[in-house]
Amino acid sequence: MDTSGSEFLRGTLKTIVLKLLAEQKPPNRGRMYGYEITQAVKERTNGDIVLTFGALYPVLHKLEQEGLLITETEEAEGRLRKYYSLTPQGDETAMQKISDFERFMENMRLLMQSPISLNPGH
Amino acid sequence: MEKLSPQQVAILHKHLLQNGSTDVLVDELVDHLACEVEYYIWIGLPFDSALNTVLDQANVTAVRHLRDTYQVELAMTPEQINQASLDDIVFEFRNKAYGAYALRQSYRLTLRNAFIMAVGLCMMLMAMMDLLSRKTWSYFSPWGAVWLIGLCGVTFATASWYMERIRQQELSMR
Repeated sequence: MDTSGSEFLRGTLKTIVLKLLAEQKPPNRGRMYGYEITQAVKERTNGDIVLTFGALYPVLHKLEQEGLLITETEEAEGRLRKYYSLTPQGDETAMQKISDFERFMENMRLLMQSPISLNPGH
Repeated sequence: MEKLSPQQVAILHKHLLQNGSTDVLVDELVDHLACEVEYYIWIGLPFDSALNTVLDQANVTAVRHLRDTYQVELAMTPEQINQASLDDIVFEFRNKAYGAYALRQSYRLTLRNAFIMAVGLCMMLMAMMDLLSRKTWSYFSPWGAVWLIGLCGVTFATASWYMERIRQQELSMR
């Protein structure tokens, strides 16, 4: 993605992370680690959106600080892996953000429509 | 998928520290980069070129940029700074689990316990020397009182130290 892509991404990163974590159901115990999140985003967008670690981790830690995520650290293959999952408050915020964002996209679509269809007499 | 050996993980750790990664993020970044290296090995690159590709992406600029963004994003709010102790401010963005933070937090208590214990032991020693020189002993003499006070002090300090230890262990278990 080019620079404008990363500009759009910056404002939506929280929503993306919350959405991905909200989708995790009990078999995975509702948790993901950082690299897993970047891979999930890459897979779903067919490699169009690639999250860098520089963008992802500040957001994850910020969400943790705000009490929306909790973390568990486990040792796997000789290194520490930190898993993130939603708190009940995080669940609510995720729902809220997702519906807010859908409304925003709807509005953007309206804005992006060709103005000709709006005033045909022009 | 092939996993990296501890030595290979250590290379990543060293690289991150040399490039100025924040303490709080370093373990997580090591895991992140290790996953990336493993991915490249899985698609067929030899370890060395996989490592170089990843380290090239995680260069000084990227790591510094991350550190700076992180410190802006997660800086304490003015209210938090007002409530924070000096330790909290010094250890902001640092790894508190290494142990120095806990040592500093319990410093006052440790100092108090050590002081009481030293004075107590000293009083007991003085009382004992008095016993040795006079060969008679009574708890109802001034030296007897000194012995008892010293004994109480040492017991109190030991108990307090022990309780604090148990509390710390419970905290770290959580």
